[in-house]
Amino acid sequence: MTNRLRTIIRKVVWALFTVLFVLVLNFFLFRILPGDPARAGIKDPRLTQEAIEAIRVRFGVDKPVINCFESLNPIKAGSCTVNPFDTQFFVYMSNLVQGEFGFSFYTNRPVADMLRERLWNTVLLISAGQIFAIVLGCIFGLFAAWKARTTIDYAALLLGLFAWSMPTFWLGIILLYWGSGYGLPIGGKATPGMSSYPAWQQWLDIGRHLLLPTLAYTVIYMGEYMLIMRSSLLDVLSEDYILTAKAKGLSTFQIMKDHALKNAILPLMTIFAINLAYTVSGVIALESVFSWPGLGGAIYDALNRRDYPVLQGAFFMIAVSVIFANLIADLTYSYLDPRVQSE
Amino acid sequence: MTIQAASELLDTKTVASPTSFANFWNEFSKNKMAVVGLSMLLVMIVAALLSPILASHDIFTSEGITSADVYQAPSAEHWFGTDDAGKDVYSSFLYGAGVSLIVGFFAAFISIVIGGVIGIVSGFYGGRVEASLMRFTDVMMVIPDLPLMVVIIALTKPSLFNIILVIGLLGWTTTARIVRSQTLSVKSHKFVLRARAIGGGNPHIIRHHILPLVLPLMVVQAVLVISTAIINESTLSFLGLGDPTTASWGQMLYFAFQRGAMSAGATWALAVPGFGILWVVLGLTLFGQGLEQVLNPKLGSHHLMAGRPIVKSEAGKSADVLLDVQELSIHYIDNENKAPARAVEKVSFTLKEGELIGLVGESGCGKTTLMLGLLRLLPEAGQIVGGHVYFAGNDLMAMSESQIADVRWKDISIVFQGAMNALNPVRTVGDQIAEAIIKHIPEFPKENINARVLQLLDLVGINAQQKDNYPHEYSGGMRQRAMIAMALACNPRVIIADEPTTALDVMIQAQILELLDDLRKKLKLAIIFVTHDLGIVAEICDSVLVMYGGVTAEYANVDTIYNAPKHPYTQELLKAFPDLTIPEKKLTSIPGYPPKLNNLPAGCRFAPRCPLAFARCHTEQPALHSLKNGDLHLASCHLLEESK
Repeated sequence: MTNRLRTIIRKVVWALFTVLFVLVLNFFLFRILPGDPARAGIKDPRLTQEAIEAIRVRFGVDKPVINCFESLNPIKAGSCTVNPFDTQFFVYMSNLVQGEFGFSFYTNRPVADMLRERLWNTVLLISAGQIFAIVLGCIFGLFAAWKARTTIDYAALLLGLFAWSMPTFWLGIILLYWGSGYGLPIGGKATPGMSSYPAWQQWLDIGRHLLLPTLAYTVIYMGEYMLIMRSSLLDVLSEDYILTAKAKGLSTFQIMKDHALKNAILPLMTIFAINLAYTVSGVIALESVFSWPGLGGAIYDALNRRDYPVLQGAFFMIAVSVIFANLIADLTYSYLDPRVQSE
Repeated sequence: MTIQAASELLDTKTVASPTSFANFWNEFSKNKMAVVGLSMLLVMIVAALLSPILASHDIFTSEGITSADVYQAPSAEHWFGTDDAGKDVYSSFLYGAGVSLIVGFFAAFISIVIGGVIGIVSGFYGGRVEASLMRFTDVMMVIPDLPLMVVIIALTKPSLFNIILVIGLLGWTTTARIVRSQTLSVKSHKFVLRARAIGGGNPHIIRHHILPLVLPLMVVQAVLVISTAIINESTLSFLGLGDPTTASWGQMLYFAFQRGAMSAGATWALAVPGFGILWVVLGLTLFGQGLEQVLNPKLGSHHLMAGRPIVKSEAGKSADVLLDVQELSIHYIDNENKAPARAVEKVSFTLKEGELIGLVGESGCGKTTLMLGLLRLLPEAGQIVGGHVYFAGNDLMAMSESQIADVRWKDISIVFQGAMNALNPVRTVGDQIAEAIIKHIPEFPKENINARVLQLLDLVGINAQQKDNYPHEYSGGMRQRAMIAMALACNPRVIIADEPTTALDVMIQAQILELLDDLRKKLKLAIIFVTHDLGIVAEICDSVLVMYGGVTAEYANVDTIYNAPKHPYTQELLKAFPDLTIPEKKLTSIPGYPPKLNNLPAGCRFAPRCPLAFARCHTEQPALHSLKNGDLHLASCHLLEESK
């Protein structure tokens, strides 16, 4: 039990460390590379005087970047003995901890407010897509492995590779084109004016908007989960304990259900965790195709508007969400696999 | 990252370097996926290289283009139509192929070099270096790379050089992990240890011994990294972060999508570049998957695949015993065009209630195949080509799949060789024992199952509190005993023990033998004991069947086998077995190995190793001769005929 607790604590600590790494990376990227949101913001003629003043206070632009460096682009050495709490780095850190990401150049609204709802929209899209992709992928993968080296298997394998090779956003465009012919909504999350309708109709409307992006997402990642499930199950089904189960007189269905599935799905959990970082990239492009109001869409808009604070905030939110989702998947895995618990 | 990451977790990749290029090419050309994938890739590379010749229009000039040229449908003039700027899509497509491939190849090169170096260094040096490098890799792996790429390129300049650099610098994590595990497994190879022992420096060992073995895997990895890089480039371009001075497929899609190709119905402007990406990535994926299959071949068959049909032979008459095996023959057929491996041929034996028969022979003589054949548990390639197995008068070979499933475990159970993997790792031992009872004795009262499992565990000497433990919490000997407890769960009448003590130390071996012998007496069990240890046989068996090369060499009571063996193979086996009464006896082993079952000698299968072989032995198979009238003694040897 203590072992298990130690494993959990170790994993949580590493996740927090990774978040810290992202924080530091985010800070220095925007200071070293051209386009520092704080300095750029002050020069931006579109901002009001109040907004400039707000930026000045929030980012502490008058302060040195960090101990020993007055600024990083261009590099200018500074005093190393300044109070570390009186630097841009500290101001940045304490702002983030309080959930403040600065103001958008474009809308002048606080970035955190703009992105909060978008984060949930992205989570909604990813969850819907992942659930369908995993369930369908596992079912197809199961059949492919069970009927290994038959036509069913080869067809599934080829389809999986085909789906995996398609750029997500391109499939999105195809589905958009095809779906618009059937009167499906071609963008956004809800039909304008829906807010006056009853809740169930609003949900139905969101569901209709979710349909195409979820379908695109499902097709692409289903292929992948199918390939992984197939390969994982093939390994499990050639294990000795499957022969034992067969010798015990269990039926194929019973062997699959009681002996093969859990063993085959467990490695899928870790892959799911690793994959999260990757699937997010598909979502960014997909959201811009469907004008889905999520973080990917925010990144897309921010890019076109050179709205760096929003870009920085969206990247930070995505990275932190992925790190925590990864942690949860990892912990679930170690909870489910008895071999990990006693490690 | 995805598919590679997956395969890394699922396979412990041990790609062996191909013995020679010709050999590799031979295997490669037989793999359809690899050949198709490579061809698809080559077609696109050639198209990209020849784009100045193949292109029908100059896409870098806007001269002579009017607004009437925008989004023109495909025609003889413009094979794939025109785009939002009135330019020829076919020519842009060819040109874009070059951009996408260049980004893919160069970015993948950077990733593979970084990942390779980190993987080899951490795998080779181990310790703190490895720990910190792998921690860093893990951290980088969790950070979503595309958003990071977006941020970096948005802040810098979206030039082709920057794009290649950023994709390359962020795409190495999976490679590092895969290369590390390969290095770890290569590091312990004998020749590496030897090179180190004779004082080879680390750089020398890495260059001459590690790298050649890690390289094939890095090639496979490179192919997959290229495809990821191409997808990443097109996604970045589609987000508007492409190099404005060039035109990749991603950018073609970006402009078409942004500038109303959809509403103008100009499907060609969207379909053609997307198809290009799909073509190249699919080609790379097929090529990579095929290459991996060639370098790391897997069997690809499993225990649930439908086996080959049983060849029914004419019904015989069952003797009045518990188990009567009559002339059972089993062949392995991997490939219809190849000669089958004749693993078991016309083996017969009988088993009475409470009898313990020893099945003896070297490894690869068909003992396990025979046992699996009895219960029709053969792997996919195995086929029963003749014979009968009567259990209590019913022919197991003539039963339907559901009928035989009822016989399995309830009447005849098996204790497998090496119970390490024979128990399911994610279910408790008690649960796995209970499962057999629930399956075969449905009327067994539910509330008594727990007590019954505890009773079974007690019978084999396992504590009650260990019932709910998982197999990995048991020692090797305990797992074997748990396996025996499981085999006894449904009160079977026959237990097949397939080398149950092979991997165990002598003390535990003795305990398990004692246990089996005890159970036989207590429960009147009939036991088939498969072993290559004659010492065990002498101690507990009633009768002995000696198998060689898939056939019966000699079959007799245990006394006859020990005191009057007639077959030269039995005699030779006994010479290799120490006798406590004659401590000065010289032990001799039989030189050579059992024959390959798909390449059997024309005559007696033992003839090539037999000290007494004469001309006839090499040309004619000996028949099974009955030696004693009334008493059981069968042996197959030409010498016995001569002496008659």
